[in-house]
Amino acid sequence: MTDTPPPRPVPNPDYRVNFFRPRAGYLRQKVRYTWVLLISWAFFTLGFQFLLLLTQDTPEGDGLITETILFGFPLHYWFSGQFLIVWFILLCFFFNLFVDHLTRIHRKNR
Amino acid sequence: MPSDGIKLAPALLLACILALSLLVGLAGRTSKGAYYLVSGPSVGRAGIGAAIASNWMSAASFLGIAGIFYLQGYMAFAYVVGWTGGYVLLLILMAAQIRRFGKYTAPEFVEARYDSPVARCLAATITILITLIYCTAQYKGIALVFSWIFGLDYTPSLFLGTAVGIGYLVLSGTLGASRNQQFQYGTLILCFIIPLMVIAKKLGYFWVLPQLGYGRALCELGRAPHHLSLAPWTSGTAYEWIALCFTLMVGTAGLPHVLSRFYTVPNLRDARWSVVWGIFFIGLLYWSAPVYATLARIAQGSAEMPTDPEAARALADLIVLKAGEWAGLPSWLIGIIAVGAVIAAFSTVTGLLITGAGAFSYDIYYRLINPAADEKKRMYVAKGATLVLALLVVVLAVNPPWLIAQITAVAFALAGNTLFPVFLLGIWWDRTSKQGAVAGMLTGLAVTFGALLLGPLVPGLGTALPATSSALIGAPLVILVMIGVSLATPPPPEEIRRFLAEEVHAP
Repeated sequence: MTDTPPPRPVPNPDYRVNFFRPRAGYLRQKVRYTWVLLISWAFFTLGFQFLLLLTQDTPEGDGLITETILFGFPLHYWFSGQFLIVWFILLCFFFNLFVDHLTRIHRKNR
Repeated sequence: MPSDGIKLAPALLLACILALSLLVGLAGRTSKGAYYLVSGPSVGRAGIGAAIASNWMSAASFLGIAGIFYLQGYMAFAYVVGWTGGYVLLLILMAAQIRRFGKYTAPEFVEARYDSPVARCLAATITILITLIYCTAQYKGIALVFSWIFGLDYTPSLFLGTAVGIGYLVLSGTLGASRNQQFQYGTLILCFIIPLMVIAKKLGYFWVLPQLGYGRALCELGRAPHHLSLAPWTSGTAYEWIALCFTLMVGTAGLPHVLSRFYTVPNLRDARWSVVWGIFFIGLLYWSAPVYATLARIAQGSAEMPTDPEAARALADLIVLKAGEWAGLPSWLIGIIAVGAVIAAFSTVTGLLITGAGAFSYDIYYRLINPAADEKKRMYVAKGATLVLALLVVVLAVNPPWLIAQITAVAFALAGNTLFPVFLLGIWWDRTSKQGAVAGMLTGLAVTFGALLLGPLVPGLGTALPATSSALIGAPLVILVMIGVSLATPPPPEEIRRFLAEEVHAP
């Protein structure tokens, strides 16, 4: 975007909504928490699969993790099939707690 | 398909449960009519969560996941993780904000945010396409179960199932029965878990909570030769696993009939908390589905059934029923599973057809073709569209080459490549313009159908962009296209940006 666009009214920066540059206050705090959750969501879901790849000894993925038994399950079955759903429930639970808290503070301030 | 005549007990059970849910629906009748998804009087957060779950559970959850697990082992967890993790994305990125927009459907949201009839029409078309693909998978499930109950071949079962489904829809519509989602969730989950406990007990495994106790069965399978391999990448590479999982997650967050669920909840805070319950209730089913497949493998092994791949593939989508048969359950108990599957598929089909027909009658017919149409005429068109969509789905479902879960995944890929980016950027970047949204949806359509239709023809494309998993590359690509086009075109009107900042993102 090097060519200069025709002049148009510049909106008040306060009306901007941008996930990467949220305005200060409620939105910035909420976005910060959203980032924490997104990262823990991605890290546990996709990161574990990369861990499987890193520790595999055969092209099929057998390795240290798949040979470990936890609660009677091969570790990767326990993690993806049972634990991740619990993890998702926890993530949603903490997100709601946080948003409730944030809303209470900011409604009081208004 | 073995045709060994009609199974009387399951057929009677099916009739009874359908009649019962009609009666429960009549008892909870509301004045608003069946064309609104009403959740009735205050049912609490757990009740709303049960409604989310019952709305969500389809033949893909009930039959499909176990089928994939039976064939592909660890690969099936891409579905389990994708279809639960998607709700996390939906909750933290979009649910509250879309609700603040106060728009009930995807096309309405697109119109309100982007102020463009073209974008709205595109969103409506995409909604209809998602409906068609999603319903095809449901119809396959209905036909398979009907062929099991009535001992017919696949195609006659498809017609019979369609006739019963449409008959049920029309009957509950004329009588004005509302869908009692809590009753339905209860029925579904009991239909799924009780037979599973009996199977586990018969085969000598921990039966009180088979979801926690099937590890021993799994390990036994892993040791037995010619059986399910427990290694993660035997039936698909790590890339395929991750691509599929990601696609299902973004697809869940963009699926029109999931989003509309949030408007029936009285307040925002309850809507948010009900998602926690929703994932738990959905999780109950997803913790259980792999147990069916594992125990089916065990029972099959001990009965020394043939296990060649072709035969296994033909069995896969009915594996929850086969598990019961091989474990030696009485016919009526297996019938309970079959009835649960039919109810799950019927209710999903109903919800989707209404969404799809609404998109046609309101967003395309009323807004584009005939703006003078009155309420009565639009309702008439909606009913006609429901029927036409249902018939189109029957044609698509006559010979679907894929498994139920795989067909469903294509619908998720479409939602993830089109509606998800449009929602996400629409909410989180006020600069997204209507041209950006239109370009994004067109790119998403091209990616989805390119992967679906050209995948088998162009070498390498099918590996990089599997039709069921195209959103890992597709969704980021669409987001980039939307950002590029938005920056090159004028910003959206000031009032929309102001509304987004002051109302949608308000505390």
